[in-house]
Amino acid sequence: MLRTTVRKQRGSIAASSVLNRLILGAVVLGIGLLAATLVALSTGPVAIPFTDTLSALLDWAGFGESSASNTQQAVIENIRIPRVLLALGAGAGLGVAGVTMQGLFRNPLADPGIIGVSAGGALGAVIAIAAGLAATSTLFLPLFAFIGAGAATVIVFMVGIAAGGRVSMASLLLAGVAVSSFFGAITSAVIILTADLEAQRQMVFWLAGGIEGARWESVRIVLPIVLVGIAVLIAFARDLNLLLVGEDEARSLGVRVGLVRGVLLGIAALLTGTAVAFTGTIAFVGLVVPHSIRLIIGPDHRALLPLSALGGGLFLLIADTLARNVASPVEIRVGIITALTGAPFFLFLLIRQRTRTGLL
Amino acid sequence: MTVSEPKTVLETATALEARGAIVSYGKQRVLNGVTAGVRPGEVVGIAGPNGSGKTTLLRAMAGLVKLDSGSVNLNGKTLDEISPRERARQIGYMPQSAADHSFTALEFVLMGRYPHMGLFRLEGRSDLSFAENAMRRTETLEFANRRIQSLSGGEKQRVSLARLLAQQAKVLLMDEPTASLDLQHQLLTMATAREEAMNGVAVAVVLHDLSLAARHCDRLLLLNNGKLTAEGDPWSVVTQTNLRDIFSVDAAVEPEPISGKPMVSVLGVTGEGRGEIGKSPLRVHVICGAGSGRDLMHLLTLEGHTVSACVLGEGDADRKTALRLGIEHIASSPFSVISLDQDSAHRRLVRQADIVIVCEMAVGPGNLRNLEAAAEAKRLMLIARPEGAHWDYTDGYAGRVQDELETRGEIVNRDEVVKSVGRIT
Repeated sequence: MLRTTVRKQRGSIAASSVLNRLILGAVVLGIGLLAATLVALSTGPVAIPFTDTLSALLDWAGFGESSASNTQQAVIENIRIPRVLLALGAGAGLGVAGVTMQGLFRNPLADPGIIGVSAGGALGAVIAIAAGLAATSTLFLPLFAFIGAGAATVIVFMVGIAAGGRVSMASLLLAGVAVSSFFGAITSAVIILTADLEAQRQMVFWLAGGIEGARWESVRIVLPIVLVGIAVLIAFARDLNLLLVGEDEARSLGVRVGLVRGVLLGIAALLTGTAVAFTGTIAFVGLVVPHSIRLIIGPDHRALLPLSALGGGLFLLIADTLARNVASPVEIRVGIITALTGAPFFLFLLIRQRTRTGLL
Repeated sequence: MTVSEPKTVLETATALEARGAIVSYGKQRVLNGVTAGVRPGEVVGIAGPNGSGKTTLLRAMAGLVKLDSGSVNLNGKTLDEISPRERARQIGYMPQSAADHSFTALEFVLMGRYPHMGLFRLEGRSDLSFAENAMRRTETLEFANRRIQSLSGGEKQRVSLARLLAQQAKVLLMDEPTASLDLQHQLLTMATAREEAMNGVAVAVVLHDLSLAARHCDRLLLLNNGKLTAEGDPWSVVTQTNLRDIFSVDAAVEPEPISGKPMVSVLGVTGEGRGEIGKSPLRVHVICGAGSGRDLMHLLTLEGHTVSACVLGEGDADRKTALRLGIEHIASSPFSVISLDQDSAHRRLVRQADIVIVCEMAVGPGNLRNLEAAAEAKRLMLIARPEGAHWDYTDGYAGRVQDELETRGEIVNRDEVVKSVGRIT
């Protein structure tokens, strides 16, 4: 009786089940991504019919002749495609960074920003604006944001290591909280002390997170980092599974725990820092997306990581499209949309899960 | 201390061995230079009181803790010379308890296959059959699809064991694998360990139940304060002396009826730990026979009294108990009449006692002198004989002795004897 049950599962549960879940999830999310992309490319101050958008896309890709007007073609190629790609890249990066943090810290509430990356990025950006550098070149702001994110991460790591001997997860978490508050305080101080009202507005604007600044040069920086980062994380998916199960199990099954933790934390910080540098602080992508996907396909990181990348991209793209269009011609910031939809959804997940079993 | 050599073809090969292992947690030294190993084909039990370093030794052998000094060798190579992945194919480790997570039992068991899988490879048919087989052996197939966090402690432990088996390692290290198991699954787990050993696997198990360890292990390592204090076959390690010196308990060690392996019956705590028990210890002498004094001698010893017993024939159930408990008594041959020498030795014990208790044993010509000696007691307590019981096999003579004794002593019901003795100061 039992034997036959398991026999039946042979194909589905183990051998191909991870693969099945991955493929199924990828197909569903892929269709969603295509649809969302089409909508995102067609909507905005200049409305473009879907058919024209499609032909414009094909033209851009080198197939056939566009039926869209030159203006429409230019809007799609120079403004909307980079914006879509940046949303997808940043969302994917935040999504996998969230999964990684939650697995490493064995804490369902771990967020990509938890090790101080976002706070550091924010401080860097605010300094760039206050110093007037942001006005001289569009790359200064992301550069400063990235430096800030990196600095915060390094401080958190050093404190975490000093406090715990080797990389202690608990002290990292606490150090992250402390450094975030500290950087946040300096950021607030810089904003208040900035006399230039326009610069002040720009700072607050940046802090709310947005993708409207997307240009091809930012896409060319963000996408390669995100793609390589995701690939490396997926290579460590099994190790992440074992770390979630327990440190002893991981070690005894051949994981170099210290090394793996270092690499994974570093990449998660890099991905978060990259996203923050080009889009400002966007909350909840790294929480809502991994949890929703985990709820459907289970905790196996071999499926969870790639699907969270797709899901994160999709979520941020939809949020950005909404941000552009709900109050058109005024743009609501995408960070506001993700927080407004993400926070209630996360609370819902929390209540739902508490009544059953744990979150991870 | 004798070390029994298990008779296997691989007699000389030590699969895994800790040499002079020293481990500290902070300033606390938990393992203080232990050299111990496990060979293919044997089940080694690691025992010792709480905090003696059992788990640390096991974790050191698994390569999970950093040694301050010393080394752990696997087939002649130190663990540092082996890659973690290769080590994971050779050595399997099962922690005391598994944490909660939302992987299913089957997914968890399949993780035992990770060290055997290439990068980016998913579990194949053979991995699945290893997992399925391991789950069948641990009787966990029925919850293959349940999440680990929804399982009970014992179920989790069995799934952990299945994970360990699926790993197909040459050395298995298990930390209290029976801790939260019911009796049936304790046996199943130990039997599984034995099966693995018979297939040439080296098995080391931390167990705190000494009787369980003695019954199922070929060899025992006894740790105390981070040091190996005894090593060898169960009979040489599970001794009254070791139990007293290392575990601070008074205990009897006797052959377990079925396996013949040592079995521990704990009688009480020694020394300081004794507390309330035995506030006013007395010399209590028990006149009994044919098992009538067994539990009385045991209970009185537990209370802390110094117990002695009458003349007891070889093979008498009461004599066995007296021997086990280390109770002074006079030995005689079976079913023989008590000699005058034996009688005078017995009367000496009776006179020394603060109180003498006469049990409701049958009396015949052989043991009549036991009953008669009771007349010399300073203080006498007779257990009430059941109404109408036939016990006098001396044509009424013993009955008259008993009547005489009853006029001098106190008649007490069997279940109140210990309490009555406790009231005497």
